[in-house]
Amino acid sequence: MANEYTRENLEGMNLKELRRLCVDNLGLPGLTKKRKDVVIDAILLADGNPDVSDKLEGIAFDGHSVMTKPSAAFGQKTTTTIRVSCGASTGAFPVEGKSVAEVGEFLREVLNVDKLSTGLVNGKEVSGDYELKVGDSLEFMKPSGRKGC
Amino acid sequence: MKKISIKIIGLGGVGSVLCGRIARFLNYAKDIDSTLTLVDGDTYETKNYERQEFTQMGNKAEIKAGDIEDQFPRLNLDFFPSYINDANITNVILNGDIVFLCVDNHKTRMITSNYCKNLNNVTLISGGNEFTDGNVQLYVREGGKDLTPDLCAYHPEIADPVDKLPEEMSCEELAQSDPQLYFVNVWVATLMCGVFYNVVISNKIEASEIYFDMKQMSVIAQSRALK
Repeated sequence: MANEYTRENLEGMNLKELRRLCVDNLGLPGLTKKRKDVVIDAILLADGNPDVSDKLEGIAFDGHSVMTKPSAAFGQKTTTTIRVSCGASTGAFPVEGKSVAEVGEFLREVLNVDKLSTGLVNGKEVSGDYELKVGDSLEFMKPSGRKGC
Repeated sequence: MKKISIKIIGLGGVGSVLCGRIARFLNYAKDIDSTLTLVDGDTYETKNYERQEFTQMGNKAEIKAGDIEDQFPRLNLDFFPSYINDANITNVILNGDIVFLCVDNHKTRMITSNYCKNLNNVTLISGGNEFTDGNVQLYVREGGKDLTPDLCAYHPEIADPVDKLPEEMSCEELAQSDPQLYFVNVWVATLMCGVFYNVVISNKIEASEIYFDMKQMSVIAQSRALK
């Protein structure tokens, strides 16, 4: 079936017309309070138009930010977190800018980090005063299991 | 036809479980021609039935080789009924081997890892556990170069062990043993099998160490830089 709608045509319509199109013609609910570009994307998606699927592909969530304050102003809704692990214990924590030593102390009980444990960032040993950046992954070394026989 | 030589060192809680899984896989892998050598100086006793898989008393390597031979006749089997030490390791681990290290002391791990550094090609998969958690380490050398860190690189407790080889221990020391859970030994053995499949069969090195915690039901794989 040929696509009935194009982005150009839809952008020529006002928001009221677009919303009516969604409800009356396409049976798309939940768009009455959405922005125009969001409504246009939804119409094109429902129409199977490659124009929107191309646009949506390639949007990757890199997992470094967490929505912690959904009601805050735009640009202040998320908190950047860094993955910290020790053995099989792991979590994402808001420790950007903190040193490895500070994080080890802060998470000692949570992740069972040994006081003498070496810190590795992105797989490489670092000193305790290394300051964590967005995209870093921190591991505190856990001793190897001894038993097995 | 892929030819591989596998050594399984340690046939206790982890090794006796691992042995059966690896043997089953190899027996039915039509494109693999394998030799399996079992190594252990210890003896199966009645008290071992709780956690270890075997059919009768006797030297662990010899008994397990007999069990495997009965069940999986396609395999080429051998056994070495002694503990690994500095003197005999050169006769046990050869260039090109795939080694499963399922021992209960860091001194054997240190000896094995240091010895493997002298081989051009070797894949060393070492597992160990505490009561409810554990880890598996992967050390791969190819063409005389490390592809992953050796067992000691990030583990000072292995590089400088405070424990002893089994043959260095007194009867009293040998009689003492920390409690272990059968299911945790099985976790270690299963993860070692998974690492073997990824590295040897699929030629993929995804991580150099895997930690697990049975209480948390979590598994974390870590990749580390060569030192």
